[in-house]
Amino acid sequence: MKRYFRELSVAAALFALLAGLALFAPNFYEPAPLLSRFAAQAPALVVAIGMTLVIISRQIDISVGSQFGVCAVVAGTLAAMKLPLVVVLLASVGTGAILGAFNGVLIAGLGLPSIVVTLATMVTWQEALRLGQQGRFINLPPGMQWMGLSQVGGQRALVALAVLMVAAFAWALKNLAAGRHVYAVGSDAEAARLAGIHPKGTTFGVFVLMGGLVGLAAVMNIVQSPQVDPNAGGGLELKAIAAAVVGGVAVSGGRGNLWGVFVGLLLLATINPALTYLHVEAYWEKAIQGLVILLAVVADGLRSRRGKR
Amino acid sequence: MRKLFLLITTLGLIMATGCNKPSESTNTAGSGGGKKLTIAFMPKSKGNQYFITCKNGAVKAAADLGIDLLFDGPTNTDPAKQNEIVENWITLGVDVIAVACENKEGISTALRKAQAKGIKVITFDSDSMPDARSFFVNQATATGIANVLMDTAAQLCGGEGEFAIITATLTANNMNEWRKNIDLRLKEKYPKMKLVETKPCDDQKDKAQQETANLLGAYPNLKCVMAICSPAVPGAAEAVKQAGKVGKVKVLGLGLPSENRAYVKDGVTQAVILWKVEDLGYLTIAAATALAKGELKPGATTFKAGKLGEIQLQGSDIVLGQPFVFTKENIDQFDF
Amino acid sequence: MSSSSKLNGWKSALLRHESVLLFLVLLEAFYFNAVGRNFATADNVGNIIRHSTEIGLLALVMMPIILTGGIDLSVGSLLGLCAVLFGKMCQEGGFSPLVAGGITLCIGAAAGGFNATLITWLRLPPLIVTLGTYSLFRGLAEAITKGTATYSKFPQAFLDFGNGALLGLPNQAWILLAVAMGVWLLIHQTTFGRSFRAIGFAPEGARYAGLPVERRVAMAYVLAGIVAALAAILFTARVTQARADAGIGYELLAVTAVVLGGTSIFGGTGTVHGTLLGVVAVAILSNGLSRILSISNVSRELSGMLTGALLVLALASGLLSKYIAAWRARRGVAG
Repeated sequence: MKRYFRELSVAAALFALLAGLALFAPNFYEPAPLLSRFAAQAPALVVAIGMTLVIISRQIDISVGSQFGVCAVVAGTLAAMKLPLVVVLLASVGTGAILGAFNGVLIAGLGLPSIVVTLATMVTWQEALRLGQQGRFINLPPGMQWMGLSQVGGQRALVALAVLMVAAFAWALKNLAAGRHVYAVGSDAEAARLAGIHPKGTTFGVFVLMGGLVGLAAVMNIVQSPQVDPNAGGGLELKAIAAAVVGGVAVSGGRGNLWGVFVGLLLLATINPALTYLHVEAYWEKAIQGLVILLAVVADGLRSRRGKR
Repeated sequence: MRKLFLLITTLGLIMATGCNKPSESTNTAGSGGGKKLTIAFMPKSKGNQYFITCKNGAVKAAADLGIDLLFDGPTNTDPAKQNEIVENWITLGVDVIAVACENKEGISTALRKAQAKGIKVITFDSDSMPDARSFFVNQATATGIANVLMDTAAQLCGGEGEFAIITATLTANNMNEWRKNIDLRLKEKYPKMKLVETKPCDDQKDKAQQETANLLGAYPNLKCVMAICSPAVPGAAEAVKQAGKVGKVKVLGLGLPSENRAYVKDGVTQAVILWKVEDLGYLTIAAATALAKGELKPGATTFKAGKLGEIQLQGSDIVLGQPFVFTKENIDQFDF
Repeated sequence: MSSSSKLNGWKSALLRHESVLLFLVLLEAFYFNAVGRNFATADNVGNIIRHSTEIGLLALVMMPIILTGGIDLSVGSLLGLCAVLFGKMCQEGGFSPLVAGGITLCIGAAAGGFNATLITWLRLPPLIVTLGTYSLFRGLAEAITKGTATYSKFPQAFLDFGNGALLGLPNQAWILLAVAMGVWLLIHQTTFGRSFRAIGFAPEGARYAGLPVERRVAMAYVLAGIVAALAAILFTARVTQARADAGIGYELLAVTAVVLGGTSIFGGTGTVHGTLLGVVAVAILSNGLSRILSISNVSRELSGMLTGALLVLALASGLLSKYIAAWRARRGVAG
C-alpha cells in the first residue's frame, strides 16, 4: 500500500475524473469514440514505455518528438512506394534504433549528459527534417490504413498491441536480468558495475530500445490516417516525460513501474477530451495539465516530508 | 582578475567590431545603377506547405523578372522572430521586403524602421498596420474569408444548427481576425446557427483529428466542423469519416487541394476554400519589383504583373481575386 | 621550475573552455565578416545584441541554477505570463509602464519563489517542478488572454526605449551588461557563488559544511523569476506587443547557451563570461548564416543543426581536456 502510494493516488485521481464524466457527460463512454481515443493514444503509450526505461536508468531523452517525425516520414515514404507493411515497420523501427544508437553512443560511450545530448539531437533532427520535407504531407496507398483490417479491428489491434507491450515490458523489467539491470544502473551505476553489470552497455541498450519503440509508435500512428504529417510528434517528449513522472517514475533513477506510467498517461490523456465533454473553454487546458503534474509530485513530496518528521 | 579581463575583452570586442565601422553603407544594393534588385520574401512560418507553394510562385516570378530573391522566415512560433528577420534584412541591405505578417502591431514597428531606411515594404497574405507598408497583396480580406467560410457553412447546414471551429493555436493572429469576423457574420446573418467551441490543433493534423473526434462525441447535434488552418482540414475530415458521420457532419475549411482531394471526392469534406496560392507569391514579387522600379506608385489603379497580366488595385490593396471554393466537381483541375 | 609552471598556466588558460569558445566566436566573426553581406556594421551588431537580450538575460540566471545542479524549464513560459500581465496592467489597468514594470518584477519574484518552495521545501526534483510550471505559467497566460487578446497600446516613450540606443549601443545592451555584471559579481566575487558551486558538487557535503542549502538554492530560482519578468518587459518594448505566446521555447535556448558556455549540466562548474560567450556564439551563428546570400534560404535550418553539433562538440571538448589532464597527472606520477 505504502509502496504504491503514488500509483494509487494517480489511479484515484483518474477514477474521480472518470466518475465526474459519468455523472456530467455520460456520452463520454460511447464505445466507438472511446475506442478511437484509446487508439489515438496508443503510440504515445509505446513512447512512454521507452521513456520510462530511460528515466529509470537515470537518463532522459527529449529528442523523441523529432525522432518520431523522422521515423514517420521514412515510414510514409516507403509506404508510398507500395512496400509491404512489414518492410515499412522494420525500416521505421530500424531508423528509430539508429537515431537512438546515436544518442546512446554519445551518452553511454562518451559519458556525456543525456539532457544536453538529446537537446542537441532534438534540434538537429527537427531542422534536418524541415530541410528535407518542408512540411509536405505524404499520401499513403489505400491498403495501408488500419493495416488492411476494418477500422474497429485496426483500432482494437493497435490498443491491444500497446497494452501488450506495457505488460511485456513490465514483466521483463521485473523478471528478466536485463530489466533488473536497468533498475540497478539507475539507482547506482558504480554499485551495479561492481555487481558485474555493464552500465554503459545497459544505458546504450536502453537508448537503442527507446529509438526502436519510437519507430514502432510512428508506424502505429501513420496507420490511423491516410496521410503522414511530418510535424506530428511535436511536444511528444513532454507528454511522455509527464506521463512517466505523474505515474511515479523517479527522475533520480532506479524507481518506477510501467503500470503507474500507464495510469499516468491515461490521466493526462483524459484531461483534454474531458474538458471538451464538460464544455470547458479550451484555453484552460495547459494550466490544468500543469496543475495535475504539480499536484502529483507535491502529494509525494508532502508525504515524504511528513515521513521524515 | 584574468576572468574579469576576459569578460571585458569579450564585450569590448563586440562593441569594437560594431563601433569602429559605423561608416559602412548599410544599403549597398541601392535601387538604381542597373544592379539586380534584391527582394526579401518572408512567410509566417517555414515548413508549411501553404507557404512553400507561395514561395514556388515567388521563385518563378523572380526568374521571369530577373531579380534576386531571399527567402527566410521563422521556424517556430516565436512571435519576435519576424521582427528580427526584418531588422536583419534592413542591415543586410535589400531593396524590397515582402512579408506575410503574423503579428499586426508587432511587425509594423520593424517595417516602419525599414521604410525609414528607404527600403520599400509590401505585405501579402495578411497585412500589417497600413502606414507600415506601401501595398498589401490581398488574396482576400479577413472579412472576405470569414464571410465565405460562414456563408458556405450556413449553406451546408441549411442555415441552422451547431458548428465548431478548429484553429492552429489560440494565439495565431490572422486566425483570430477570421474568428472575429466569423462571429460578426454569424450574429448578423445566421441567428439560428451556434458556434459551440473553438479548439486549437497546434498546426498538427493528428491533433486536429483527435480534437474533432472529441467534439463529435461531446456535441451529438454538431452539424458542421470548420477548420481554419490547413493541416486541420484533412484531420477533421478523417475524424468525421472514422466516426461514421460522413454527410451527417459537414466539413469545410481553408486548405490545400492536394491534401484534401481524397476526402472531397469521397464526400467527407464538402468544400475547401483557398485562393491560387502560387499566384499570390508570383503577384507579390511582381508588385515588389514594380514598386522598386517606380512603375507602381501610390494612387495607381492597375499595374502589369508579368504573366498574370493587368491587376486591379483598390486603394493600396492589390487584389488577387476572390477566394475559390474547391468542390468535388472542380478539385481535379488544381494540383497544388 | 617557475618558468615551466608559468608555461603550464598559459597552456591551461588557452585550453580552457572559455578561451576555445572565444576563439570560436572570433573565428565566426571573421568568417562572416569576410563572406557575409554587411556583417560587421554598427547596425547589425546592434541587432545581434538587441535580438539576443532576452535569451541572454535568461541564460545569465539559468547559469546559477544549473551551477547548483538544478534546471528551470519554466522561464520561457514565465516570460509569456509576465508580458501578458504587464500588457494588461498598462492597457486596461491604466498603470504607467514604470509602475506596471515594478509590479511585474514582483510577480516574477513570486513565481520564482513558487518554484523555489516546491524544490527546496518539498525537496522535489527541479526538472519536474519546472516542467509543471512550464505548463502552468503558459496556461495561465492563455487563460488570462483567452488566447486571443493582444496588448499593444503602450506609451510611445516605452516603445522608443525598446528600439532606441544609448551611446551607440541598443538600450538593451546596457541592461544586459548591468545584469551580467551583477551575476558575475554574485558568482565570482562573493561567497554565494562559491556556495552555489559547493551545492552543485555535493549538496549533502555543502549541508554538513554548514551552508544554508535551501536558502541559497531558493535564491537562484527567485533571481531567475525576477530576471524573466525583466526580460518580459524588454521583450514587450522591443516587439511592441504582449501576447500569450511570448518567449515560447526560450528555456531551451537559454540552457543551450549555458551549456555551450562550459557550465556542467550536473552542476558545480561554470562561469558567467562563458555563458555570455555561449549566447554570443549562437547569436552570431544564426545572424551570420542568414547573411551569406547563397545559403540564406536555408540558413535558419542550418544554424539549428550547427547549434546542435556545437553543443555536442562543446561537451566532447570538455571530456577531451579532462582526459588530457588525467593523462598528464598519470605521467606526472610516473615521472
